[in-house]
Amino acid sequence: MFYVSVAPFIILFGIFGAYPVLYSFYLGFTQWDGLDAPIFVGIRNYVNLFKDPTFLQSIYNTVYIWIGSTVLTLALAFTLAFMVQMYVSTARGFFRVVFLFPLLVAPALTAIILSVLFSTNAGLVNAGLTWLTHHRVAYDWFSSLYAIKPMIILLVVWRWTGWHFILFLSGLQTIPTDLYESARVDGASGKQIFFKITLPMLTPVMLVSAVTATIGGIQIFDEPYVLTGGSGGNMQTGDTMGLYLYQTAFQQFHFGDAAAMSYVIFAMIVVFSILNSRLLRKRT
Amino acid sequence: MDREVGSRASKTLITALITLIAAIFLFPLYWMMVLATQSNSNIYNFPPPLWFGVALYQNWQRLIHGLNLGLAMWNSFYVATFATILVLLVSSFAGYGFSRFTDAPGNKVIYRFMIGTLMIPGTVGLIPWFMLMKWFGWLNTYWPLIIPGAANAFGIFWMTQFIRESVPQELYDSARIDGASDWRIYYQIVLPLIRPGLSALGVLNFLGAWNNFQIPLIILNDKTKFTMPLALTELNSLYSTDTAAVMLGTAVSVLPIIVAFLFGTRYFISGLTSGAVKA
Repeated sequence: MFYVSVAPFIILFGIFGAYPVLYSFYLGFTQWDGLDAPIFVGIRNYVNLFKDPTFLQSIYNTVYIWIGSTVLTLALAFTLAFMVQMYVSTARGFFRVVFLFPLLVAPALTAIILSVLFSTNAGLVNAGLTWLTHHRVAYDWFSSLYAIKPMIILLVVWRWTGWHFILFLSGLQTIPTDLYESARVDGASGKQIFFKITLPMLTPVMLVSAVTATIGGIQIFDEPYVLTGGSGGNMQTGDTMGLYLYQTAFQQFHFGDAAAMSYVIFAMIVVFSILNSRLLRKRT
Repeated sequence: MDREVGSRASKTLITALITLIAAIFLFPLYWMMVLATQSNSNIYNFPPPLWFGVALYQNWQRLIHGLNLGLAMWNSFYVATFATILVLLVSSFAGYGFSRFTDAPGNKVIYRFMIGTLMIPGTVGLIPWFMLMKWFGWLNTYWPLIIPGAANAFGIFWMTQFIRESVPQELYDSARIDGASDWRIYYQIVLPLIRPGLSALGVLNFLGAWNNFQIPLIILNDKTKFTMPLALTELNSLYSTDTAAVMLGTAVSVLPIIVAFLFGTRYFISGLTSGAVKA
């Protein structure tokens, strides 16, 4: 009966999960237009990838967005959770849910909302700048070379802060009260309590958050796709690895190169996860 | 937990600060609804509107002229519902297996393998996966949005934990003595007992399917089959100057989820937090 119960998962995962992942590894060593048989070309795709300036740019963009959004999201979520836990005594139920609202909105739709906020003629951002400077501001944020990555970061922070906040809050609530009490009896200052008890006790939760944010962040696709209309933006400044993979496969039909790219993404996530679990093990 | 930190003044100050941050977080959604009720000429004027207008009906007329809103909503609803039901069936069934038959050879190995698959990013197999869909003749159908996602390792993990905690092993023994088969135990005893867990997982999955973008984007080309996010991004690129209609469409897509969230906050939160705390 046990085998019957897990069979649906095993069969579905075998067909739709394991097979594509393994076949993708093989495809990475071929040249393929999706129609004729794939031609084996060895490691040529990988060599070409690292000579392709757009791919290198997309790695840079992805790492920029991933690190920027992860650091900001986790820092903001932690600050909020700490403040709510320690200082807020009224309407705690409200604060628990309020930051989750952006998570309910599809990433593609958050990008539409942001594109209206920053739009050249109807955007609230330009209107605010007009109001502040007393000059009509009609800045075109979407052709700027510097604005697109921060805008994507903003979207990720807006969307995900609430989720990490909830995790941190429940993490903070599991720290036993007597730990704080005995520390205070021993004469520890607020600062010492924070750095010696609160922060270390919450580190495992934060590492889990970091892994989740990384797996999502390195694959980011919806937001840059919608914000740049699928193009990657002016001078490819908003082209992420996920978006470039899509363009290579589904706009240019270079499936072999795209498959190689997917394994570069995979490798980056694996390296980060190993580093992270090392960190976790060192602590426990 | 000790919350006797800080004076009254600092408490008030910090509560005010958090309220302000919360307001900033909600503002884009509020503003989306404001624009949905304003005429475009108001939107393009300075200063921009910050309160609701009276053009909702005209915006609605243009919106349903620009896209078949009812159809896109129905498509999203249809896909998300079936995808969710399938995930719940497969996950609860496997979770039942993992949590009840702990002595079955291979139980622990398969469980660990399944957890390991959680680390594989979806993008890695995307190209062969797409080719597989093509080969099955599933392009431009809803099958790719429903069937493959049913193998949900996170869902099984969640169900296994839930069944372990809510169904005691003695219950299985007594049901067995009463002559119930393994199947009957699953659907007559286990399923009713784990309803809260099913609700939480269901809500989470429905949300994921409702908001999914990349997979529908590569699978669907027929506009009558578009789900909400696809239909709206298309509307946004075709009618980008009609900000009011685009914002109304976005609001209409988000509203059902927000209403569901307000009614089932408990399920949302337990679903959203279930994965990380235990790891």
